[in-house]
Amino acid sequence: MQRELGSFPIAPSTRARLVAAGFHTLHDVIDFSGSEVSREAGISEESAKEALNIFKRQGSNSQILKHTALELLEQEQAQGSIITFCSALDEILEGGVPLGKVTEICGPPGVGKTQLCMQLAVDVQIPECFGGNDGETVYMDTESSFRVERLVDIANACVLHCSLITQAHQEEDHRLAMQGFTVNKILSQMYYFSCQDYIELIAHIHTLSDFLAQHLKVKLVVVDSLAFPFRHDLEDLSLRTRLLNTLAQQLISISTHRKLAVILTNQMTTRIGPTESYLVPALGDSWAHAATSRLILNWEGKQRCATLCKSPSQKERTVQYQITHQGFRDVQTSQPQMDTAKPEINPRKRPREDDTK
Amino acid sequence: MDWTQLDVHPRIISAVQKANIKSARDLFILSIGDLQKITQLSITDIYDLQKAASATLQKHSAVTALQLYREKTRFPSQHQKLGLGCGVLNNLLRGGLPVVGITELAGESSAGKTQIALQLCLSVQYPETYGGLGAGAVYICTEDAFPNKRLQQLIKSQHRLRTDVPADVVRKIRFGDNIFIEHTADIDMLTDCITKKLPILLLRGQVRLVVIDSIAALFRCEFAAKDAVVKAKHLQTIGAKLHQLSRDFTTPVFCINQVTDAMKEENSVLSHIGLQDKKVLPALGISWSNQLLMRLMVARTLHEAPPPHIGCILRTMEVIFAPHIARATCYYTVDLEGVKGIEVRGM
Repeated sequence: MQRELGSFPIAPSTRARLVAAGFHTLHDVIDFSGSEVSREAGISEESAKEALNIFKRQGSNSQILKHTALELLEQEQAQGSIITFCSALDEILEGGVPLGKVTEICGPPGVGKTQLCMQLAVDVQIPECFGGNDGETVYMDTESSFRVERLVDIANACVLHCSLITQAHQEEDHRLAMQGFTVNKILSQMYYFSCQDYIELIAHIHTLSDFLAQHLKVKLVVVDSLAFPFRHDLEDLSLRTRLLNTLAQQLISISTHRKLAVILTNQMTTRIGPTESYLVPALGDSWAHAATSRLILNWEGKQRCATLCKSPSQKERTVQYQITHQGFRDVQTSQPQMDTAKPEINPRKRPREDDTK
Repeated sequence: MDWTQLDVHPRIISAVQKANIKSARDLFILSIGDLQKITQLSITDIYDLQKAASATLQKHSAVTALQLYREKTRFPSQHQKLGLGCGVLNNLLRGGLPVVGITELAGESSAGKTQIALQLCLSVQYPETYGGLGAGAVYICTEDAFPNKRLQQLIKSQHRLRTDVPADVVRKIRFGDNIFIEHTADIDMLTDCITKKLPILLLRGQVRLVVIDSIAALFRCEFAAKDAVVKAKHLQTIGAKLHQLSRDFTTPVFCINQVTDAMKEENSVLSHIGLQDKKVLPALGISWSNQLLMRLMVARTLHEAPPPHIGCILRTMEVIFAPHIARATCYYTVDLEGVKGIEVRGM
């Protein structure tokens, strides 16, 4: 009852009049009727009633939610995560990309950011009995780099993987789940938005919570890439920072509220240091605070590596991965490192080595 | 924009009109505090207003991936491909160039970059059933004069190169009339060409391919090393504009890039983009690479091509990255008729 009127979402003019008339806290105003408040504060009866409605609605449930750390821990453990199909990466992420959190994926072009996004978009749909999330996906594409043919490759491999498990274990619930788990089902549960510029992206994020209210099964929101629309057309850097921070706030609140995972991808840029230049994630230092965890994909020689470089619970570690026809996978250590084709060698003496499926 | 069409309380609309907010864009650019100040609305009203404005701004509503996959005519960007006029190379590229996005072809001089670009200008003119897009091409030259003689040579031997196409179809296409050539000598001219001339040509529907030969030439001569930041900004602007045109007109953009020698530095920035095994690297750095959908590299080998391509140099084409293709290599050669991929047997 002692809550300040200023903390309620009312029009600033109304607020100023109310405070000038001596109404400071909820307690001061709550027992009066609309017409009385309007007379005292010199505002129209309509706006007085509206303000009172807001006070009554919000004042009654203004109890701050209290949780003990144990409850929070249990909640977090119950939330689960989305597996990546690369067990080394799953391990450093403690089981996969966490639900209820925002994860940022950075990397130079061609390293596999979009591939990882597509892989996760498929993996989140794996039925629960196989250890999946049985969820749906929202995919926002700003670079037009989403290729449905590639998604079909990954989805096919995923369905095949699950059906092999079913054959091996012969369990009833697996068999039942497999009946509904087809490539077409996976594709039909993925909602694709294409965004042409940052205004359109912001507009989509504004309506996202309404969309999610209609599609309760959505467990993953992918924005690929967040950096692209914000890295041109925007001369005003402080405006960019503000827009990005607002966007991050909205996405964080959506992800905690709906308990879904949000994946943002970011580009890399060159930072010129005193002696040498090196690659850093784009969008500036303040953006680095936005996501809960940050995964950097990069090349080390010919090997693709993933580094978890910001995480609330895990230490910084680097693991290797590869991208195959099936999708995002572990590096097979038993298999000798395949040498990518050397141009100098005569083709007549050498078979092709890419998988011709 | 017309505020009266928004699905919000009339009181909010009148407040917006009174505050003299012109476009929906402003609703997102201004902070909530500023909006409150100028419209005198409450926070919840402003949220409603932003939501309603968002709905009108969305040109594309949600589609499922299944729709993208099944409805081929509604989403040409996912299904159409521009073929290279050669079965082997098309196999490498899973059908050809995606129609939306910038494809880069990098390679040393005389690796065959211009030859591939010229062949694309011809193959784009075939009907869709033969891997084309049924329209002409724009060829923007920045370093050299347009190789007209070679083009005429290629046009004359099209019927021999494209044996998959019936002869009367080939004869009917007037190849030379559908290639628009533009010479740009500096970055301002290039920007002017991209922002003013290209949209007009594309709008008329006569053109479904944009070739820039080469993007590197202008940037490498106009900027000194210390202007790297300005250069990166220019590249981003041009890249974004090309990307936008490509998307708006579902027209592939094909950029030729030069290469630089790879330095043997362990920690150089370029070694982090997956090209460490290369002797040469694509020019223009990461700010340009970030704009690309797909990167191809071509190179000349020291060998001669196997029969029946007697007397031709063997060359390689490699997919460095693409969202839908794994890294792969293929051999090709260039002869009088054009660019031909070489199938390697002996699996």
